[in-house]
Amino acid sequence: MFCLRVRRVVRHSEKVSTLILEREVPSKPGQFLMVNVIGYEEIPLSLSSPNSITVKAVGETTKALVKFKGGEILGIRGPFGKSFTPSNRALIIAGGIGIAPLRYLYHWLNAEVTVFYGARSRDELVFLEEFEDVHVSTDDGSYGFKGNVVQLLKRSNVNFDCFDRIYCCGPPVMLKSLYELLKKNDALKKSEFSIERFMRCGIGLCGSCVLENGLRVCREGPVFRGDELTPVFERSLYKSHEDR
Amino acid sequence: MEVGRLNLKNPIMLASGILGSHVGSLNRIAKQAGAVVTKSVGLEGREGYKNPCIVTWECGILNAVGLSSPPAKDFARELRSFNKTCPLIVSLFGSNPEEFVELVKIFDFADGFELNLSCPHAKGLGLEVGRDFDLVYEIIRKVKGKTNKPVFAKVSANLDYVELAKVCESAKADGIVAINTVRGMAIDIVSKRPVLSNVSGGVSGKAIKPIALKCVWDIYEEVNIPVIGCGGISNWKDVVEFALAGAKAVQVGSAFYHSYDVIGNILEGLNSYLRINGLRFEDLVGLAHRR
Ligand SMILES: Cc1cc2nc3c(=O)[nH]c(=O)nc-3n(C[C@H](O)[C@H](O)[C@H](O)COP(=O)(O)OP(=O)(O)OC[C@H]3O[C@@H](n4cnc5c(N)ncnc54)[C@H](O)[C@@H]3O)c2cc1C
Ligand SMILES: Cc1cc2nc3c(=O)[nH]c(=O)nc-3n(C[C@H](O)[C@H](O)[C@H](O)COP(=O)(O)O)c2cc1C
Ligand code: FES
Repeated sequence: MFCLRVRRVVRHSEKVSTLILEREVPSKPGQFLMVNVIGYEEIPLSLSSPNSITVKAVGETTKALVKFKGGEILGIRGPFGKSFTPSNRALIIAGGIGIAPLRYLYHWLNAEVTVFYGARSRDELVFLEEFEDVHVSTDDGSYGFKGNVVQLLKRSNVNFDCFDRIYCCGPPVMLKSLYELLKKNDALKKSEFSIERFMRCGIGLCGSCVLENGLRVCREGPVFRGDELTPVFERSLYKSHEDR
Repeated sequence: MEVGRLNLKNPIMLASGILGSHVGSLNRIAKQAGAVVTKSVGLEGREGYKNPCIVTWECGILNAVGLSSPPAKDFARELRSFNKTCPLIVSLFGSNPEEFVELVKIFDFADGFELNLSCPHAKGLGLEVGRDFDLVYEIIRKVKGKTNKPVFAKVSANLDYVELAKVCESAKADGIVAINTVRGMAIDIVSKRPVLSNVSGGVSGKAIKPIALKCVWDIYEEVNIPVIGCGGISNWKDVVEFALAGAKAVQVGSAFYHSYDVIGNILEGLNSYLRINGLRFEDLVGLAHRR
């Protein structure tokens, strides 16, 4: 474990902030940190660049983080997990705070990138100005297409054959419908999904993040090839991760 | 090979609490392991302690997961899809004989049981039960009366483990597993507070290997039931060392930090060692005690 000071905070909206750390963490996009918010809990957060994390307030710890002002100290373990892999022609599909690791990837890729990005409403769209070729949806229609990002993809008749990698991150329902869409288009093998599970150790020991097929989200993931996730999205034999 | 009436596929088992909460990981490890031990489970579900509950440092791992596990009935349902490629041992925690007996009934499909008398960081459970030798005797007697499956007692190095092992033997336990994690803690020098949310935790990994080895040695000298060694084992040489000290089998936990295939890797090395020396694993057991 080591400590890093938060140098500066960009407050994107009431619920979302980017915390810029005092130095870069040697890492690749898709990897995450176990961030100990002293006085609260230690939680997994993806890097949104080599020296930043982008957080959405959902519970106690994330609410505290979003309100940081800069100067605070964080306990850090990591970076952990497998990263996204490079490509030449990339399609990025993000839902909500799922943009965090994909934004790191966007700047890291030395490739032509198309971005599809959906959020609940306009104020939850972050980093939008950083993307060149970007297609946006909002649930409430406050910006771009009114609906979700998978509907937007279908509506836009995206030809998945044009891309050699498809990178996805977002809430579970979005990932599930995206999985089905990519499967129908025979594109699972070239797609990469970053997924979430409840995490404790982050180092492959405690077993709390294990998927139905035995793969550990903290070690073999959080980035998986689409076809590795068949047992996750196509078998509801086990309880969904929310109640694990 | 037989260890305390349990038929092992090979002498390397998975230790309790490492990747043992979901059948997905158990199924995967079972393909290589001599047997797998599940995460310890009790009648009621336990949340466990808040994060941070695990930290690593140069010499090993410190954890206070706090026996987090689902209620026994839910866990039993999960374990129904175990692939049976090796024996399944269910690790149990409870605070009195009745709870343990109830648990044994719920997991009647298991191939054996391990009684957690040694977790160092759970109130009223684990080590706190193991400290009361009369209670331990009662628990083992009652559990043995309820099942004819092998029953192993897992002991801690934080108490008089030789005396405890003798009590377990007299209560007709089928074997002793030594050891669980050793009490320890870490303090963060920047925030100047204990790192673990629970303050105190259990040390595992390389740091405790000499401690575990000595426990196995001592218990082997004093009891006749089999000893299963556990603590800091990460390669085949460690396994040979534990066997020489008297372990009839071993368990591997923290070394999964290095590789998911750690048991397969250890076995490969161990088997070549045995082949080159023309030995069977059984030949090594307790050999270092000869005078
Ligand atoms: C690999 C990975 C990367 C992530 N990256 C980001 C990111 O870049 N930005 C971001 O805002 N969020 C990210 N998350 C989600 C983030 O970890 C949770 O939102 C956070 O843990 C919630 O903590 P809380 O105390 O604020 O809320 P709580 O009230 O404790 O929980 C709210 C929700 O978060 C989930 N959660 C709580 N603790 C954990 C945990 N230890 N591990 C996983 N999920 C948990 C709960 O299941 C619950 O659904 C990531 C999660 C994972 C697994
Ligand atoms: C994260 C973690 C969780 C553990 N959970 C349990 C448990 O539930 N029951 C138990 O008897 N031992 C538990 N242990 C102890 C291990 O089974 C083992 O006895 C100890 O870690 C020493 O072996 P090792 O050095 O190979 O890890 C746990 C250990 C760790 C690191
Ligand atoms: S978080 Fe512990 S195994 Fe992944």
